[in-house]
Parts: sequence; C-alpha cells; structure tokens
Amino acid sequence: MSREVWCIVEHRGGEVDNDSLQLFGAVHRLDGEAVAVVCGDEVAGLAEQISGECDRVISLSSSALASFTPDGYAQAIVPLALERQPSAILTLHSHFLGRDLAPVLASRLGTGLISDCIDVEWRAGFVGKRLVYRRKLIATQRSIVPGIQVATCQRGAFEAPESSGLDAAVEMLSVEIDVDAVRWKVGEFDEAEVVVGDITEADVIVAAGRGVGSKENLDSVQRLAKAIGGTLAASRPLVDHGWLSRGLQVGSSGKTVRPRLYLALGISGAIQHVVGMRDSDVIVAINKDPRAPIFEYADYGIVADLMEIIGPLTDEVEALRG
Amino acid sequence: MRIAVLMKAVVEPESRIGLGSDGEVQCANFRYELNEYDLYAVEEAIRMAELYDAEVTVVSAGPEEAVQSLRKGLAMGATDAIFVPVEESMGDAFLSAEVLADVLKPVQPDLILSGVESNDLGGSQVGVLVAEQLGYVAATMVISVKVGNDGVLNVRRELEGGNFVDVDLPMPAVLTIQTGLNEPRYPSLKGIMAAKRKDLVRLELSDLDIGDSQLVETIEYSYPPRRERAQMIEGSSEAIASELVSLLRAKDKVL
Ligand SMILES: Cc1cc2nc3c(=O)[nH]c(=O)nc-3n(C[C@H](O)[C@H](O)[C@H](O)COP(=O)(O)OP(=O)(O)OC[C@H]3O[C@@H](n4cnc5c(N)ncnc54)[C@H](O)[C@@H]3O)c2cc1C
Ligand SMILES: Nc1ncnc2c1ncn2[C@@H]1O[C@H](COP(=O)(O)O)[C@@H](O)[C@H]1O
Repeated sequence: MSREVWCIVEHRGGEVDNDSLQLFGAVHRLDGEAVAVVCGDEVAGLAEQISGECDRVISLSSSALASFTPDGYAQAIVPLALERQPSAILTLHSHFLGRDLAPVLASRLGTGLISDCIDVEWRAGFVGKRLVYRRKLIATQRSIVPGIQVATCQRGAFEAPESSGLDAAVEMLSVEIDVDAVRWKVGEFDEAEVVVGDITEADVIVAAGRGVGSKENLDSVQRLAKAIGGTLAASRPLVDHGWLSRGLQVGSSGKTVRPRLYLALGISGAIQHVVGMRDSDVIVAINKDPRAPIFEYADYGIVADLMEIIGPLTDEVEALRG
Repeated sequence: MRIAVLMKAVVEPESRIGLGSDGEVQCANFRYELNEYDLYAVEEAIRMAELYDAEVTVVSAGPEEAVQSLRKGLAMGATDAIFVPVEESMGDAFLSAEVLADVLKPVQPDLILSGVESNDLGGSQVGVLVAEQLGYVAATMVISVKVGNDGVLNVRRELEGGNFVDVDLPMPAVLTIQTGLNEPRYPSLKGIMAAKRKDLVRLELSDLDIGDSQLVETIEYSYPPRRERAQMIEGSSEAIASELVSLLRAKDKVL
C-alpha cells in the first residue's frame, strides 16, 4: 500500500487556509508521506505557499476549478486517486471540503468516511476518533473497506508540523473538467461585515447560551454585562431565535473573540462555539450540568442554575465597582 | 413538486450518557427528540409547499420514538410519512443513507431537505450520501432557498466566519439545512388532529433492497480526557458570587 496521504488544501482569494496545514500533522499520526493536493484555476502561488510545509504537492488546475464545486473537485481528484491509490485522503471538516466534498469523494471512491476526527491512526485498518453525544464520549471508528480511506479532521485537533523550510517537489497537472457535469453555478461571496466597536474588540464579554431559557431572562444577563463593564454576546441558538443580532454570535459561523474575561452563562461548549472563545484570557462557565464540555475550557466553573447566581453576582460586581 | 424531509430522532442532551462495565454505551434510559436541524428543514419544506404548491413526505429510520417526530412533521403540515424501524447501533452513515435512499426512490422527490448534522452521533454525511445514492446534486449549510422561474434552486450557503455564498443548482437536489433560516411553527391543535388521519407508512428493513453496505464500524467508546482546567467554585449563590468576584479581582486582575 502506498504511504501517500493526500491532504486537500482549502483556499480562497489566492490564500491557503492555514488550518489546512494541520492536516499534515494528521499525516504524521498515520506515518505517511504528506501530499498536498491543490485544486484551482491559478494554483502556482498556492502550491508555493505550502511547499515548505509538506513532502510533496500535486496541483490540479483548470479554469473550471476557479470556484469550489463538489462535481468539479471530484472530477479532478477521483480519477487520479484511483490511478495512484493514496492510502488516505484527508480534508478539514470545513463547510466546503469537509461537508460538501468528502462524502462525494468517499461515495465515488466506494469507500467509507470518518468525519470530524480528532485523531487518526492505523490499527488493523484506518481508525478515526470522533466526539459523539455532544462531546460526552469518544467513538473510535474503523473503516471496514480496504483501499483508499477518506476522513475529515476537526479544526484545531491536529498541530501543523514545523515548516521544514525545504521546498517540496510540486507536480503541476492540468485537468480536463466536463463542465456540463458540474451542477453548481457559484454566485457571489458575501463577506462578514466588520463593525467598529463589535464584540471582537470587547475587553469583557458576558455570553448567554440557550440555558438562559427565555428572552426575558436576557435582561438580567444584560444587567450583569452593564455592571461589569462588559459587552453582551451569545451562542448561536439565541441568534437563531431572533433574540439577539447576528453580530453578537461567538463561534465558527460567528465571531472569534479574545477578551480578558469571558463569562459563559448556560452555554454547553459545542466545538463550534468553543473555537470562537477558547483563547480568552480568563473563562468563567456557569452551567447546571457538571459534565458540560464548557468546563474543560474554563478557568472557573460553577455548577448551578444561572438565574440563581446572576443576581448575587450583579450585586457583588456593583458593590465593587460602585 | 414533491419535497422529502429526512428527520432523525436523536438522543436528548439531558439523557445520562455513560459507559457500562462492558464499555458499551448505556442506552436503556435514553430519551429521544427530533434533531434540531431537521426541525428547521421540515419548516422550510412546509413553507415551500405553501409557496410552490408541493407535497411533503417526511422520512425517518431509527428507534420507535422517531414516530413521534414524524407525527410532529405531519402536524406541522407534511402530507405523509415513512418510518423504518432500525436499531440505534446503526451508526454508519452509509447504511443510513442507503436505507433512506431506497425508501425515497419510489417517492421520486424533486427536492430532499435534511439537517446539517445529527447532533448525537452524526458527522454531517447522510444528506450528501443520499444525494450520491440517488444521483442528485447536493449543497450543504443552506440558510435560504428559492425556486427560480426556470425551476433552478437559488440557495444561500453559510460559510465559516459569518460569510455566505450563493449557489444555483438544478433539481432534483438535496439541501442540508442550517438552523435559523426560519422560525419553526408549533403544530396547531387542528394540525395535530389532521395528522392522525394522514398516512404513516411503516417499512421493514427486509422490505428494502439494501446490500451489506456498512463501511465503518465503531470499535470502542471512551470518555474524553478531562482537562480539569476549571477551578470549581461551590457554596450558596451569595458565597459563589463573592468568591468569584474576589478571585477575578485579586488573582486574575480582570475586574
Ligand atoms: C456548521 C455549524 C456552525 C455553527 N456555528 C456556531 C457558532 O458560530 N456559534 C455557536 O454558538 N454555535 C454554533 N453552532 C451550533 C453549536 O453546534 C451548538 O448547537 C450551540 O453552540 C449550542 O448553543 P448553547 O450552548 O447555547 O445551547 P445548548 O447546547 O442547548 O446548551 C445549553 C446549556 O445550558 C445549560 N443550562 C440549561 N439551563 C440552565 C440553567 N438554568 N442554568 C445553567 N445552565 C443551564 C445546559 O446544561 C446546557 O449545557 C454551529 C453548528 C454548526 C453545525
Ligand atoms: N436515520 C435517519 N433517519 C432520517 N434522517 C436521517 C437519519 N440519519 C441522518 N438523517 C438526516 O441526515 C442529516 C445529517 O445526519 P448525519 O450525517 O448523521 O450528521 C440529519 O440532520 C437528518 O436530516
């Protein structure tokens, strides 16, 4: 079996998504040769950006690959994979290559897919570990089909290896894409607005999660935020309910914040939330479930009904700050 | 037009989730609820049905509790439902996708909506795999759907970091639905009554044409390593509040 592990590199606007480099860390776990696969229209610059980070680069170029489409990428990757038989193909568990592409690749290669892995290894087959039941357990899963394996890796789960500084060999291939078989027509990108004074600039954040229970209870959270001189933020469900505006959402599909103090009130600690706040200096979590994953990221943990703590806490802070 | 919605019954977050001495997940006391993402998918399907004069079939493979989710879908306005009883241990996405695709083949939906992921065991695969099985095109993370005059779907997808991209794609298609694109309705009493008269077809796995398509097995469950970073603060609410404030002030100097 080939030792090649293909890492499909994510990129946009001519820039490699740096988290893609973490895939090379996963390849180390598999004791394989890290082969970066870059698909696109103008790929020379992209190949250059990563050639110091991996063992080899394969770039697949066609004007039909200018925008990501699952059909286009699959047409470029699948025939070459069948020919060269890499031992595994990895992508980030991202919105494009993880969610749209990986199942398509697995399906067209007739192989299994283990997604959102936090670890990978060979153990009588390809094995991936994933968090299940809302991060309360780890499931170790093994593919039972031989041949090429497909897996997606959770962002942040693997460390990008140190750059070797040596330029890896780059193989440039131009590929023929049957554009009639590409069913997506990709339109405009709409970039998130950056607003002055938004939560990314806040020093202290009081973040409310679904545990606040009702829109009315948000008033108490707001009062605490005011007393402590902080900014109100939220997990996604409160924004989905229309209780708060999108701009206040912390997490992978919202904002990444790094305040000095982050208070998480009634937030469970789903990975999509955690990636947006885990680098805060001091994290306080209040949650009634002692096994909520948020406690693993917190410096101080309080197992309680947040509505019982919030009043005394507001009083205490007000007394302190006058 | 016919729209199908994939609805999964998932283990309630409040369920006690632990391992037995045999290392197996103790699921005897599990309670199930409709996967949150799928609720938004059902609502979107019903709205589209009202707008474009379509019929909605809701489908689930899973534990008996899934019937309640399907009934909720019917009460919200779906036309009919199909249930396939399957054991919880069917964790493999390919197998789930094969079952669902086989159930849907005769239904021939123009559009299939699924959730983005099932929040107990899922890895956001089943929707796209169903599309592959049926030869449909798929798009994930959809936060808005329209059908153009030409019958083309105009969807808006959510990307990381609060960015979006618009994609047009032809039907038949599968879209995986992200939360927040609508406000799911509560079933009305009238809806609940009407649901009782709607078709809820039960198909056994043995009725289906599925091979031995399990591709991934779970070989072990374990608890995640505890990082134990948090210093836990206990006591009465007042004592907790005052201890926290003094720590944040004196030790961390963030107040
Ligand atoms: C692709 C994708 C992108 C996403 N992007 C984001 C994102 O950017 N940001 C984000 O936040 N989420 C995001 N999510 C959703 C994420 O997966 C979780 O569903 C979400 O973060 C959960 O929010 P929560 O913790 O507030 O709610 P829940 O998970 O429902 O947790 C509520 C918590 O409150 C506790 N609780 C309940 N009552 C009380 C009480 N009275 N006192 C104290 N504690 C109480 C419960 O024990 C529980 O732990 C995304 C999901 C996907 C699939
Ligand atoms: N057993 C099932 N029955 C019905 N729908 C399912 C089932 N499994 C997954 N789905 C659908 O596929 C979506 C993604 O699931 P998953 O790939 O498990 O994360 C869910 O939100 C459901 O819409």
